[in-house]
Amino acid sequence: MSRTDDVYVVGCGMHPFGRDESVTGMDMAERAVREALADAGVSWEDIGYAAGGSDVSGKPDTLVGRLGLTGVPFVNVQNGCATGASTVLTVAAALRAGEASLGLAVGFDKHERGAFHVSAARYGLGDWYAETGMMLTTQFFALKTRRYLYEHGISERALAAVAARAFRNGSHHPLAWRRKALTEREILDSAEVSPPLTQYMFCSPGQGAAALVLARVDRAFDLCERPVRLASLAFRTRRFGSFEVFSPWLPPGPHRSPSVDAAEAAFRTAGVRPADVRVAQLQDTDSGSELVHLAETGLCGHGEQEELLAGGDTEPTGRIPVNTDGGCLAGGEPVGASGLRQFHEVVRQLQGRAPGVQVPDAPRVGFTHVYGAPGISACSVLTV
Amino acid sequence: MTTRLIDDSLFDCVVPPRLAGARCSGCGTVVFPRQDSCPRCPDGSMSGHVLPVRGRVWSWTLQAFPPKPPYRPPAGGHRPYHVGYVDLGELLVEGRLAVPRARIRIGLPVRLAMVPAYHDEDGTEVLTFAFRPDDEEEGER
Repeated sequence: MSRTDDVYVVGCGMHPFGRDESVTGMDMAERAVREALADAGVSWEDIGYAAGGSDVSGKPDTLVGRLGLTGVPFVNVQNGCATGASTVLTVAAALRAGEASLGLAVGFDKHERGAFHVSAARYGLGDWYAETGMMLTTQFFALKTRRYLYEHGISERALAAVAARAFRNGSHHPLAWRRKALTEREILDSAEVSPPLTQYMFCSPGQGAAALVLARVDRAFDLCERPVRLASLAFRTRRFGSFEVFSPWLPPGPHRSPSVDAAEAAFRTAGVRPADVRVAQLQDTDSGSELVHLAETGLCGHGEQEELLAGGDTEPTGRIPVNTDGGCLAGGEPVGASGLRQFHEVVRQLQGRAPGVQVPDAPRVGFTHVYGAPGISACSVLTV
Repeated sequence: MTTRLIDDSLFDCVVPPRLAGARCSGCGTVVFPRQDSCPRCPDGSMSGHVLPVRGRVWSWTLQAFPPKPPYRPPAGGHRPYHVGYVDLGELLVEGRLAVPRARIRIGLPVRLAMVPAYHDEDGTEVLTFAFRPDDEEEGER
């Protein structure tokens, strides 16, 4: 079933994630774009609308100087962890509105080493908050995870199971950064960062780029043997009562995340249920986040995660394969590229040409989820 | 030795320590630090509200590695410290937890205290708020 304003992914490209001092953010972006264009069998001159995002590595629209000065409208996006989703949203909306029939979304970043450096003023907070050592995303993830494990009776071992699966998947993925499988014991015994989270339960800021070519339905099937339908894409900001990073105070609860709103909207618009999903990408800046997001997006019930993990349900061969490319844990988190990495992986899985471990039995429904500061989430449903 | 507060606007009083929040006249939402508009409802006006001093640890973690600037380490350099949210009833407040690892747990009764954060270049001791175990409360249980 398709409508005349349906939008499809017809090509994708990705620069390997990780650390490579020899390339800049723009270099990686250019390579991802050229790969996506080649994958779709089109040239830059065919692109009628573009959007790009980067958190720290330059103005995306300057890429036209490398790709070709065609006069194409090119929107720059800076939306934290939802940057990639926002570029797709922008391009898809333009295609639906009839601005163009072919569009391109690109995201890239190259971060310095170590935890993200953030300024208090940028988040509307006084200097005291950062000076007293509370302005760290790692603390937030640990505090949210600690409370979640407590409320739902989940053991810290489940956190290690998430990371072990991520690194196992990453070890088979040619574009991942962390390519060495680790045991749960090694993960639990790694350096304490912010308990209950250890060093190997956190992703690291890194570098990378990813790009998608999108097409209206009237072009999609001519360009691509197996176009992937963007069945929905929902972006939400936080509402009162959500538990977010850099919060000197919180209301007493219950705390409802924007992930819940975005996932509900994405499933509703697509007309599919969470139980239909056969390959999923969940924001896993840390093991705890993935655990929480499994339930917040509706892929399982709160407190069911440990059983799901122990039963292998989130493995590539399981009932709901999660982060089949190793996610942020194995890929690192170049903020501007991370969301488009998710699309890249799900698209390739649905097309039956996963770069790493392929989910068996030709999955038809995929799902992506990002979440980030200061309380934003974007979810999509992709189908073939 | 001279001392100063890390940010005067956070405090209603120092001896004994009291945090200065604000309360919405429309919906009763209590916020910290003070702000002039309500994050929940469009109608209310915000007025100063002194926060409760006793509560229970709602969640906690440790800051093991030294944060990047503008974090200001204490005299003698960074040592791992606990942070967490404390449930004060009408709101949860995030702060440093001056609680030893052996005692820290969700549900631990704590109360507001002042602790040194760092020293200015001229030697002035800079004070911030923290929560310490509330031994009075702990003893009653």
